Amino acid sequence: MRGIYSIFAACSLIALTTASCANPNDRTSSMPADEHPTLEAYNRKMFEFNYQVDKYILKPTAKGYRAITTPYIRERVNNALANIKEPISAFNHLLQGEIKESGINLSRLVINSTLGLAGMYDVAGGWGLKPSKAGFDETLAKWCIKDGPFIVLPLLGPATPRSTVGLAVDSLTNPVYLATLNAPADVKDKIYYGYSAVSVIALRESALDLLDDLERNSVDYYTTMRSAFLQNRQNQNCINGDENISYDFDFGFEEEDQIFDEMNN
Amino acid sequence: MKKNLFAAIFASIFMFSATANAAVDAAKAEEFVQKVTKEGIEEIINANVSQSVKDERFEKLFNNALDLNFIGQFVLGRYWRTATAEQKKEFISAYRELNIKTWSQRFDEFKGKNFIFKGTTPSNSANQVFVNSVVPMDQGEPAKVVWRVKQTGDNFKIVDIIIENVSLAITARNEYTAYIKTAPGGIDDLIKDLQNKTKKA
Repeated sequence: MRGIYSIFAACSLIALTTASCANPNDRTSSMPADEHPTLEAYNRKMFEFNYQVDKYILKPTAKGYRAITTPYIRERVNNALANIKEPISAFNHLLQGEIKESGINLSRLVINSTLGLAGMYDVAGGWGLKPSKAGFDETLAKWCIKDGPFIVLPLLGPATPRSTVGLAVDSLTNPVYLATLNAPADVKDKIYYGYSAVSVIALRESALDLLDDLERNSVDYYTTMRSAFLQNRQNQNCINGDENISYDFDFGFEEEDQIFDEMNN
Repeated sequence: MKKNLFAAIFASIFMFSATANAAVDAAKAEEFVQKVTKEGIEEIINANVSQSVKDERFEKLFNNALDLNFIGQFVLGRYWRTATAEQKKEFISAYRELNIKTWSQRFDEFKGKNFIFKGTTPSNSANQVFVNSVVPMDQGEPAKVVWRVKQTGDNFKIVDIIIENVSLAITARNEYTAYIKTAPGGIDDLIKDLQNKTKKA
């Protein structure tokens, strides 16, 4: 009950400053909607630009990173990067009224930063404190803030207005950013850009096979990305929304085409 | 007394018709998916046989377990109705080939992985049910995989696989209908493109 009140308070606060709280009943079709032609034209152009940047800069770098590291090393790096983000998850679980989850994030941070050697080893996970990520985008979703249309951001890629706000707030609550706030400008830049670069390359490396596969098998890479991105976001349900599962679209035909009978013979 | 008897008869008729309408046996659907994944993992992914034997076994399993005709019809959306019988056949077969080829190349990624089944969720579509499962990953949280199963009589078929909320059927439908909309040759272009992708894969 207390959770509901805090959500309500937060929701009204957000409503004053940004968009209105969405009506939980206006959940539309589960399938990604058709795109406005103007937006689509812009998105496709930006998608192509990002694709070229990725092709010539990011992807080769990620491949190089994979070539000079072993899976063991990459797992240590990914663990350490995830550990840095535990406070972001703790903060957002708190905003979502999930006190216990928030405590788990903090416990993981303390245990893994020390016994787990700066987060490289997930000691806490072995003790039953399983990872549970949360970001501000998810918090906004829980507060029933609408997602908005699909937009492709320069360099950052697929996004929605809500995910963009989420990303911005996550960056501002990132411990690396906060810890270097009072550092001299040049030191701050070195640390923050260094950290960002490692994060981006590690993230791209982990998605190498998946994205290659997706691209190789699709006849319209942009539409595939858009569809998958929007569907994946539907797991973020509004706190007072209905429990309809997003992928339960109407999947039945009154009568199956008779061609199937021919084909089965 | 008479009233009670009437109520009892009414209730039993109502209950009977309710179960008859449900028509999908969730427990059996889950059993079916478990059997399919078990066969896939034991007889194909972890089996100590050559890739060509694996491919052969997979093609058989894929054709038995999935209702590609049903999926293909959904995937083409409104273009299904305007397609000729020939185009429908060719599309289904090109779609089938590409899927089999694509999945065959992913066997290694699945080595050592396992499905943990988490019960079923009812669907709004008639004769269909969702079978929930998760796949523990080496890093991070387990991946959520949901199987959409359709029952016809005693026969079960998978009609959609939903990985981390991304439905393969919806993704393909979005992609293929967008493609057909702008392609000068319509469905024929799509079929050709799919065939080329299968050859290259």
